[in-house]
Amino acid sequence: MENPIISVRDLRYSYGGATEILKGISADIWAGERIAVIGTNGAGKSTFFLNLNGVLQAEAGDIYFHGEKITYSKTDLIKLRQGIGIVFQDADNQIIATTVRGEVSFGPMNLKLPKDEVVARVDKALTYMNLLDFKDRAPHYLSGGEKKRVTIADIIAMYPEVIIFDEPTAALDPVNVSALEGVLEKLSKEGKTLIISTHDLDFAYRWAERVIVFGRGEIIFDGKPEEVFQQDAILQRANLTRPIMVDIRNILIEKGILQNDSPHIKSPIELEQILHK
Amino acid sequence: MGHKGHKRGEKIFSIDVYAYNSKINHWNPVVKMVLAIIMLFLCIALNNIYVSAVIVGLCLFITVGLGKIPLREYIIMLGIPLAFLIVGSMIIAINMDSVEQGLFGIWSPWGYIYVSTEGLVTVTNLWGKALGGVSAMFMLSLSTPSSEIFSVLRYCKVPSLIIELMNMIYRFVFVMIDTFMCMKNSAEARLGYVDYKTAVQTFGYITSNLLVVSLKKGSTYFDAMESRCYDGEFLFLENEKEVTTEQIICIISSILLILTTWLLAK
Repeated sequence: MENPIISVRDLRYSYGGATEILKGISADIWAGERIAVIGTNGAGKSTFFLNLNGVLQAEAGDIYFHGEKITYSKTDLIKLRQGIGIVFQDADNQIIATTVRGEVSFGPMNLKLPKDEVVARVDKALTYMNLLDFKDRAPHYLSGGEKKRVTIADIIAMYPEVIIFDEPTAALDPVNVSALEGVLEKLSKEGKTLIISTHDLDFAYRWAERVIVFGRGEIIFDGKPEEVFQQDAILQRANLTRPIMVDIRNILIEKGILQNDSPHIKSPIELEQILHK
Repeated sequence: MGHKGHKRGEKIFSIDVYAYNSKINHWNPVVKMVLAIIMLFLCIALNNIYVSAVIVGLCLFITVGLGKIPLREYIIMLGIPLAFLIVGSMIIAINMDSVEQGLFGIWSPWGYIYVSTEGLVTVTNLWGKALGGVSAMFMLSLSTPSSEIFSVLRYCKVPSLIIELMNMIYRFVFVMIDTFMCMKNSAEARLGYVDYKTAVQTFGYITSNLLVVSLKKGSTYFDAMESRCYDGEFLFLENEKEVTTEQIICIISSILLILTTWLLAK
């Protein structure tokens, strides 16, 4: 069993010492995993992410990246932030440059790479996210979906190993959500570890191979999506409902149309295939 | 850098959009800055109404003719500083003395207040200089995206602290304007501007909230920048833009035109 890429042990954090937001979080994350992080607003998901890349300094607990314990020294923080990239929920809260090309170059330039390398990375990231036509445009005048692509290109240009998406589908229309899922598929195939926090349970159910449920600053479930969505007690504690496909499968089993041990159905297409058999 | 006024509820339409759409934004930014600064300097130093007129015309030609900015919008934009200028400088045309003189005037308890030909000439000269200077600056800002202006300043060894402040202020003005427009629309939809008194009160609420919201946004921005290894210096990739003979010819002919006018007018 290979070593986890990120390990967190008993992480604690409170904003300014008032209420504890993270009450002892422990988890291991392996390379290439597709993890959905779900939970109510205020459960601590975003705080957890900002702790992972060192922007917020944990008050207690340890973080290990590639097996090495993170001290908050400058070199450690740079390693952490280059290796773990966060795409924040609101694109307007991240975009700082006045051209798309300049914006995507911010990360690589901060890594003090030589100019040719920066240009190569920027072009590669723009091509990856289909933004080459936009490279001289002003980012604040783009549409929501285009801005989202810019913020993803920002992070890709830093060549991270882990990419965290904080509620990426929140402001996107259905076509853009599909496009995003296409990008996630591409990234996953390249071996990137993806962690996505979302309220879209249908999306979490069909995309994730592992689900971590946050409730009031603690991890109340960490395991397979098929398991968590059948456990009503946990769902209630975390203010969650069941994904539609889980309900449908349960109803079909109840009515005898499907067997008890039939495979978990993640999408309408899979349902069609199963019913045809 | 500047943000023009706006109609109700519309998205703010800033000078920077014109700069992005200008047909001369591919010119080397140093060329444009040099031209603008030389025109500004000559306008003030030569102190001649005909020189000012030539400069205003030249800038009009470059911005509207070459840059293809709509004429109507250009005149409206120019009108804003012009209005301030006219109102503010009228006082210079007015003099006071103990005897009746000048073109026209009235008696007051403190003396005779009048407008003289010399006064009018001085004021017109002043308007010309100011309009020329403003035209030159508009020529620059309506054809050059601010990021390029900042990078030229950085190249001129302006302290990086100032460049970074300019960068951040520029970006945050957009953020604050957007936030303000959202709050204003929301207030207007709830009759926050239904009469003068309410409007003033609403304005007060929005303005004080703007500070809080902007501080919060600033903090979120900082988190995002830190996550991309920001270490205090704003570094962006910059486009190289060529200096062509066409641009050099433009500068030289403009300067010659101005100087010739000055010599002829003497």
